[in-house]
Amino acid sequence: MSREFHPLVKQLLDGERTLSSLPPELQAEAEEAVRLLGAMDRRDVTFSSGLEARVMQEVRQHAAARRVRANTDPVLWRWLTAPSVPPWVVGAVAAAAIIALVIWRPGSANDPVAVAPATAVAPESVFVKFILFAAAAKRVTLAGTFNRWDAGATPLARAGDEGVWTVTLGLPVGQHQYAFVVDGQRWVVDPAAPTVDDGFGRKNSVVSVSLGLGRVM
Amino acid sequence: MERTAVGPPDGVIVQAVLSGDVEQYAVLVRRYQDRYARYATRMLGSVDAAEDAVQDALVRAYDQLARCRDPNNFAGWFFLILRNRCFAERRRDQRFAALDGVPDVPAEENTEASLERSERGRGIERALQTLTPEQREVFVLKHMEELSYEEIAGRVGTTVAALKMRMHRAYDRLRELLEEMQ
Repeated sequence: MSREFHPLVKQLLDGERTLSSLPPELQAEAEEAVRLLGAMDRRDVTFSSGLEARVMQEVRQHAAARRVRANTDPVLWRWLTAPSVPPWVVGAVAAAAIIALVIWRPGSANDPVAVAPATAVAPESVFVKFILFAAAAKRVTLAGTFNRWDAGATPLARAGDEGVWTVTLGLPVGQHQYAFVVDGQRWVVDPAAPTVDDGFGRKNSVVSVSLGLGRVM
Repeated sequence: MERTAVGPPDGVIVQAVLSGDVEQYAVLVRRYQDRYARYATRMLGSVDAAEDAVQDALVRAYDQLARCRDPNNFAGWFFLILRNRCFAERRRDQRFAALDGVPDVPAEENTEASLERSERGRGIERALQTLTPEQREVFVLKHMEELSYEEIAGRVGTTVAALKMRMHRAYDRLRELLEEMQ
């Protein structure tokens, strides 16, 4: 005996038919189906009164950690190098990006301060240079796990007149997810880097920072 | 599930938080902590698990607030974060697929008139936990949150036809399970 509901009964459950519109031979099955739905518990659920306090406690801790991270990173400059600059096109904007990773020692002749942000980096960190070609962009920023996805925290600087935008960050060894934000609205993955699903149906670029990957400048 | 918020629009609050006024986030927490409580409870089969999921989702939403592309639709964006959290937990914890646990849903008043309804309701709750997360979700959103197929499709990003297919399989599976339980 089939345990499947008749298609007309399913339409009844979907609210697309009335019980009286079904043929007599389906009335018993339909009444059983209606009883099934009618027995469901639709009462509201209310959580404990401490939920808001717990959430805000975590939020304050995360906000404080973000501030500390921005202000207290110590100094060891390393810089790894990266490969190529593939083209990328979105609408009228031709864009491409690379990450440059080069191990770098403080005080070397090839001091990258000119392209580095003012913030210091943690020991066992690596300088990562992010480059985006976006000729039509008026503003480009970088958001990622390293700046709590703050789209306003890490602007790229335009380098020259050919639409090249760059920023260099000191990142701790490990894996970091990121995306470029063009003109404050369009989130752009790095075509030169692998991507992962961000959990909301979009992609994040991923950079794995390792001391072994770089060359000493 | 859509209720009118009292106070500033979500977009104004989101901008305030992004500008550094962290305490404003409490407004969004109060506004949404219970809105999806029933959904999360039915998805996870436990009020405690649902509360943990909502707490995690609210903190994650704060961490990624700059990625909320439409701050005035914070509710829809937050729902997707919570949904993702619920699905991940269900897939991670296969224990919920077993029929041996009675879901921790609020107890109904134990009157004589409600006994039969309660028994059947508990059977449905147990059977619901054996559906796939996708089947369970469409069932919960349609028959508990009383959304239309079109509203559900817009919320979870799929087609009405796909939702109906999931739902109709869920009907058959529930019927089968309830008969097995009797």
